[in-house]
Amino acid sequence: MFLRQLDLTTALRPSLYDDESLLFVQDGVGLYEGKFKIPNYQNGHAYLTSHRVCYVDNGEPRKFSVAVDLKEIERTEFYAGFLKSSAKITLFPKAKRSGPQLRSPQPKYASPMDGLVRSGTSTPRSIPQSPAPARDVSATWICPICGLSNMVPSNFDPSTANQHTPLPPCQACGIKPPLALIIKASIAAMSNRPAAGTPAAPIPQSSTGTDYFPGKGTPNGRAGPNQCPRCTFENYPSMTTCEICGASLIARSTEPSTPAQGMQRPESPGPSLGSSILDDETIETIKLSFRAGGEKQFQDKLKTALTQRKWLLQSAPPVPRPDLSPMQPSFHASPAEPAQPSPSQQRMIGIAGLERRGAELRQNNQTVIGTAFEDLEALMTSAKEVIAMADEFAKQSGNDTADARSILSDSASALGLVTTKDMLGTGSQAETLYITELSRNLAEFLTDDRRGLLRKEGGIMSLVDLWAVFNRTRNGIELISPLDFEKAAVKWDDLHLPIRLRRFKSGLLAVQERSRTDEKTIASLLAWLREPQFAFPPPEDDTLGQTFGRGVTAQQTAERFGWSVGVATEELEMAEEMGAVCRDQCLDGIRFWENHFMRILGGQVDPAQMMNELRI
Amino acid sequence: MAATLPDTTPSSLPTTALSPLHPTSTPPTSTFHPPTHASFPPFYTLQPNLTTRARQLDLWSTHVTTYCAHHRIFRLNLSNPPLNLFSNPSIHRSLKTSDIRVVLDHMSRPENGPRIEWISAGAKGEQSSSCYVYWKTPAEWAEAIYGWVEATGQKGAVLTVYELREGDAVREREWREMDEELLRKALGVLVKRGKAQVFGQEENAGVKFF
Repeated sequence: MFLRQLDLTTALRPSLYDDESLLFVQDGVGLYEGKFKIPNYQNGHAYLTSHRVCYVDNGEPRKFSVAVDLKEIERTEFYAGFLKSSAKITLFPKAKRSGPQLRSPQPKYASPMDGLVRSGTSTPRSIPQSPAPARDVSATWICPICGLSNMVPSNFDPSTANQHTPLPPCQACGIKPPLALIIKASIAAMSNRPAAGTPAAPIPQSSTGTDYFPGKGTPNGRAGPNQCPRCTFENYPSMTTCEICGASLIARSTEPSTPAQGMQRPESPGPSLGSSILDDETIETIKLSFRAGGEKQFQDKLKTALTQRKWLLQSAPPVPRPDLSPMQPSFHASPAEPAQPSPSQQRMIGIAGLERRGAELRQNNQTVIGTAFEDLEALMTSAKEVIAMADEFAKQSGNDTADARSILSDSASALGLVTTKDMLGTGSQAETLYITELSRNLAEFLTDDRRGLLRKEGGIMSLVDLWAVFNRTRNGIELISPLDFEKAAVKWDDLHLPIRLRRFKSGLLAVQERSRTDEKTIASLLAWLREPQFAFPPPEDDTLGQTFGRGVTAQQTAERFGWSVGVATEELEMAEEMGAVCRDQCLDGIRFWENHFMRILGGQVDPAQMMNELRI
Repeated sequence: MAATLPDTTPSSLPTTALSPLHPTSTPPTSTFHPPTHASFPPFYTLQPNLTTRARQLDLWSTHVTTYCAHHRIFRLNLSNPPLNLFSNPSIHRSLKTSDIRVVLDHMSRPENGPRIEWISAGAKGEQSSSCYVYWKTPAEWAEAIYGWVEATGQKGAVLTVYELREGDAVREREWREMDEELLRKALGVLVKRGKAQVFGQEENAGVKFF
C-alpha cells in the first residue's frame, strides 16, 4: 500500500498529524503510475508536509485524494521536462519484501498453465487480468521528433482508429505522433506476431527465447542469455533494459521476481489503471507531473524533508540535551548511568536540596531557551518544549488570564497550520495558489471547533472583524494584506468550502457558514417575532402583541442573536427583501414586524366584502 | 408565513362568504370598525419591498373605500382628511401626507378601478388636493339610478338634479346627498348611453329618463 487514503479537513486540505507541518504547496499537478497517467488524478494540489506527499484533487477532493508517506519512499528522481512534457518528480517506494527481486509478485503471478495455454509473445502473466485484448505488446512507434521508441497503447485498435482517437504523446518529448505512424506501427506489429509466436503454439519459438515460458524458467534467476525481443541483442541476464535499443526486458521475463507491471503497463493505460489504485500493491513508481511549475522548490523541500526524517520523531522522546553541564546529571539520569552524581544528589536534602533543584531547573530552562532562539528553524523544532515551558511559567507567575492562554494556543496552532508565502514557489501561478491556500486556511480557522469563532459571533461576522482576528493570531509575522484577504474570501465559493462570503445590499461583506442559509435566518427571526402571540398566559394589556407578534429594532435583534448591529440591520433588511418582515418607521426608529400584509386577506378584496366584515 | 393568527384576530375570509349582500342597507348609525390591519404599526409606513408595498397599497385602497362608503364620503380633501382615516391614535401611527398621496395615486390608476379620481387643481402646475372617491364608480351609480327610475315607473318623467340628490323619494337611496359633480358624471354616463337627457343649467337642471 504505497498510496494511502487521505483525510481532508473541512477546507479540503490534508489534515495533518500532530507533529506534521506543511512545507510546500503546488497546484496543477497530475499523478502517474509508472509511465501512465492515473485517471481522475490529473488536476490537483500537491502538498508536501514533513511526513507525507499528498495529492488533493481539484474536482472531487473527497474522492480522489491520496498520500504517500515519506518513510516509504526509497528515493526520488527529478525530470526537468522536455518540450511539451512537464517536469516530473518520481517517487520510488521502498521494497516491501527482503530484496528487489521479490518486490510484489503475488497477485500477478499466474500459474504455468496459463502460460501453457496462451504462450507466445502475448505475455503470459498479463492474461489473467485482461484476457480479451491479446494484442501485441511489443508494438512500438518511433517518435519522429526525438527518435525514442514508444509503446503503442494496448487499447489502440488500428481498424477503428480515426483522428479523434486519443493518442499518447511521446514519453520523452511530449509531442503527439501522427496517427498514420501509430497505425502503421501497430499493423506491422500485428503482422509480425504470428512469426514471433502463434497463440496456439504450446511451445514458444526459439527466436523469442525459452525463458519467456514460465514453465521452464527458473523462479529466481535467468539461466539463459537475456535476449532483447526487439533487437535480439543478448543482454546480460540481470539487465532490465536492452543495452542496444532500450526496450524493456522485464516484460519478457518470466520470473515472479520483477513486478508484473512491466507487463501490465502496456496493457492498462485505460481506465482500469485507476480503478483500484489505492489497493494496488504493485505500484512501481509514482510520478508527480508539475504542469504549472514549482517542481524545483518541491524537489528541494522534498529532499530536505527526506533527509530530516521528521516522522521518526513522531513518538520519539524529547531531544537529548547534551549541552547540559555535568552540574545537572539528574536531567538525563538514566538507570544505566548510576555513577557518581546520583549519590551526591541524594545527599542533598533539606533547604540545600530545594535550592539545588531550583538551580537545576533554571539552568535547564536557560538551555532550552538558548537553543530554541538560536534561529527560527530551531524554534520550530523545539516549539513543543518552549510552549510547554511558557505554559509552566504562566502557571507559576499566576497571571494566567484567559487571554494569554488563548494567545498561547493560537500561536501553537499557528506554527503548524499556516501557509505562508515562502512555502510557495515563484511565478504567475504562485499568486493565485497563495490566495487559494489562504482561502482554505481561513476556512479551517473559522470552522475550527476548538476556537468556535463563528459560534461565538452568532454564526456570522463581518469580514473586517475576521481580518483583524486572523491577523492577530499570526502574532505579527506573515500578516495578510486586506487585498489578499478579500481575494481569498471571494475564493470560498469556487473552492466549495463550508464557509461563504455574503455581500449585503449595502456592500457590507460578512462571513457565514454555508449551511446557514437565509431561510434559516428568517425562520429564527420569525420564531422570535411570533413569541408574544403564543405567550402563555396571554398578557392582558398586550393585544397588539397577541395579534401581530412583536416589533423589533436592529439593536434588539443584535442583542438577541449575538450579531453586530450592522449585521443585524442587514439580516433584517434581507428578510424584508424576501417579504418575511416589514418595517414600521416611527419617531423612535425603525421597527421590524412579521409581514402580516400578505396574510391579512387572501386574494382580491372588494369593498362589499369589507363592509360585510365590519358588521359582524 | 405559515403561522396562523391567534383566535383573537377576527378571521376575515370565512365570514365574508356567509354575509348578506346588501351593504347599502347598513344603518348609518353603526360605528365604523376599522379592519385589524389598521392597528398594525407597519401599515402606516410605506414598505420598501415592492411586493409587500403592492399588497399594502391594495389594503389601503380597500380601507379608504370602505371607510368612505361607511361615512358616505364622496370627496376627499387632502388638506383636511377625515378623522382617523389615515391615522390610528391608539398606536400613535399615521400615514405621512406624501404617503397618502402615494396611496391615492395608486387608487387612481385605471387598473385599480379606478377607485378615486383627482379633481384638477385650480391653478396651473399645482398638485390637486382633492379627489372623488369611487366606492362606486360613476357607471355603477348610473346603473343604480336608472334601476331605481325604472323600478318606480318614472321613465319619461323629468326630475331635477336637486330632486335626485335630496328629494324625499331618494331618502332611502344610497346616492342621497351625493356630490353634485359626481352625480352629473353618473348622469353623463346615462346620457352617453342614450338613456337620459340633461337640460337646463346648474341648480335647476332637469333630467329626463328614457
